[in-house]
Amino acid sequence: MTQSILLGAVAYDPKVVTIWEGIRDYFQEQGVPFDFALFSNYERQVEELLAGHIDIAWNTPLAHVRVKQRTNGSSLSLGMRDSDRDFHAKVIVRRDSGIEKLADLHGKRLAVGSRDSTQARILPLHFLKQEGIDLDQVKITSFDSDLGKHGDTGNSELDVLQALRDGKADAGTIGDLIWVNEQAAGHIDASSIGVLYTTPGFDHCMFDALPSLTDAKREGFQRALFSMKWENPSHRRLLELEGLREWKPPREEGYESLRQALAAAEVSVR
Amino acid sequence: MMSTSAGVIALDGGELSLSEGLLALVRPALTRLDEGGVLAILSRNRDVDHDLPSWCRAERHEYLGAEDIGNGEHRHLIGRGRFIVQGGDKPAMELRGPMPERADPGSGFAPRGVLVEAGGPVYPFDLVDRAHVAPPEVASLYDQAVSSQWDATRDVPWTKVGTHAPEIDAAIRQIMTFLAENELSALYLPSKFISRIHPAYVEVAMFLATQLQDEARHIDVFLKRAQLAAGIAVSSVTTSRSLLSLLELQDFSEAAFLLSVLGEGTFLDLLSFIGRYAPDEATAELVRRARNDESRHVHFGLAHIRHALSQDASLYPRLEAAVRRRSATLAGVGSVPAPVQDSLTILAAGGTDSRSVARGHDAFRELLETMHSSRIKRLLNAGFDAGQAETISSLHTANFM
Repeated sequence: MTQSILLGAVAYDPKVVTIWEGIRDYFQEQGVPFDFALFSNYERQVEELLAGHIDIAWNTPLAHVRVKQRTNGSSLSLGMRDSDRDFHAKVIVRRDSGIEKLADLHGKRLAVGSRDSTQARILPLHFLKQEGIDLDQVKITSFDSDLGKHGDTGNSELDVLQALRDGKADAGTIGDLIWVNEQAAGHIDASSIGVLYTTPGFDHCMFDALPSLTDAKREGFQRALFSMKWENPSHRRLLELEGLREWKPPREEGYESLRQALAAAEVSVR
Repeated sequence: MMSTSAGVIALDGGELSLSEGLLALVRPALTRLDEGGVLAILSRNRDVDHDLPSWCRAERHEYLGAEDIGNGEHRHLIGRGRFIVQGGDKPAMELRGPMPERADPGSGFAPRGVLVEAGGPVYPFDLVDRAHVAPPEVASLYDQAVSSQWDATRDVPWTKVGTHAPEIDAAIRQIMTFLAENELSALYLPSKFISRIHPAYVEVAMFLATQLQDEARHIDVFLKRAQLAAGIAVSSVTTSRSLLSLLELQDFSEAAFLLSVLGEGTFLDLLSFIGRYAPDEATAELVRRARNDESRHVHFGLAHIRHALSQDASLYPRLEAAVRRRSATLAGVGSVPAPVQDSLTILAAGGTDSRSVARGHDAFRELLETMHSSRIKRLLNAGFDAGQAETISSLHTANFM
């Protein structure tokens, strides 16, 4: 490993190149040597981090929790987006489905997102089970698109919404951001679908590193990252693409529910 | 709106959900609050209980909670976050209010007085200080220009061109094509600056747009008149080199000075001369109308230079240096292009007999003197001293423009 920080990110969309090229140039201006490597899926990225081939991995919550487990909790968490904090998932229902409370889901068709999407499948099903729903009595339809991307593309959530619109499902699980953004954009017909349930909050992506990361790299990375400002036009362009207003320090408590869900192996995750 | 007070606003959302337009009430109300100010939303829609907290998270406002206030109504409280355009308790800003001393390239094409969201792209405008761009008179000059527009077809009595002796026709054809050629430079040069002027000084760009329209109309009428006359028209290297040295100017004040104050100023006397000896009513009228427009351009150029000089004394030597540079590049072309001089002489003579030609020649010499003394008057008016004015006028191009 050289003095230059090598960061791994998953190429879930062409814009990922624009984002990290821009952040690389910005880090260089800040005097922090930086480069990035793109992976096609988070499983590979996690293995390369654990093997010491990259310094830092920009990880989904699922990848973050796995890194924590594989390092017995010793991995370093370096930062997250403001939008990664207090994520929620929603259960959306068709108004004509007769579902008025969670127990009414029994016997109904529930559309869920990719099996590796934290917000569109893993945690909403985990929380429904905690609420006393017997998932074996629910007819679950999975939209397993973009496996390996851990739900980053949002495609499976849009598929869930479409299934509800088309009457192919009575209810569906999606993340809160997609839901309110679709509403704000005027894409939702409130007379035909609405929200039934909001899960407890959980946290989303995290920059992960091994404990062997040098102090110089960690300090340089965090200093440059936390200096990005929404009000700066060139920073703002990158922040908009990455879906945040400001970078926040790391915190671990927001991943507890996901740890429990995975430990209980209540849901099948690759 | 139910009530407003410092930092707190309440609104009645009724039955509206987020998918049914509630945000069209919530977003403007938040813009009116300061950061940290509180918005209370009364709602009878139960989906709002789920969706409002999520929307606040997405937009980085703080959802402060809800309480049941009876009759199926909930009161939600939102703390305004910092990532929206700062409106708060600022007084309503004056649209098209006073121009700023310096303009912010980050405000882009936003009209003056609009609240501009931070973090937008920086535009490549480089004419961003009022002293060197916008004289106080510009808005009233724009209004004058708009009300003085005329129609090149309808407002010139074209049927009164009549027929003339061949030598007069030839002189007219040469003079009109010379005028058109020079006016082309007056169309192209200001257009170079419009895209560089910051929109905070949009009145200047708007005035220049009227100037472009004026020049286009002049080119039109001069060429129309030339077409109605027989003979050969020539474009001289003197003219071509003189106009290229204008087109190559990069500094807005230098361009206003060389084109409008000196060039178009000199053209005022030229157009008066052509009008005085015009062989027909149509020619006299089109020249009179063109001169009216040109005098407005000269007025704008003078206002620009007077204002800039009053704010920046270093501009005196810069403008004089620009005149000297141009004069140096035009060295060796010390006299009026011969075809133009001959045509003006014959036009003033009204014929080719020797006594008339002698009279025409005197009139031409008198024109050059008039042009020189008018330039000096304008330069004194702009703020130059007598010595500078004499030097600058003497160095002015023999091509008039």
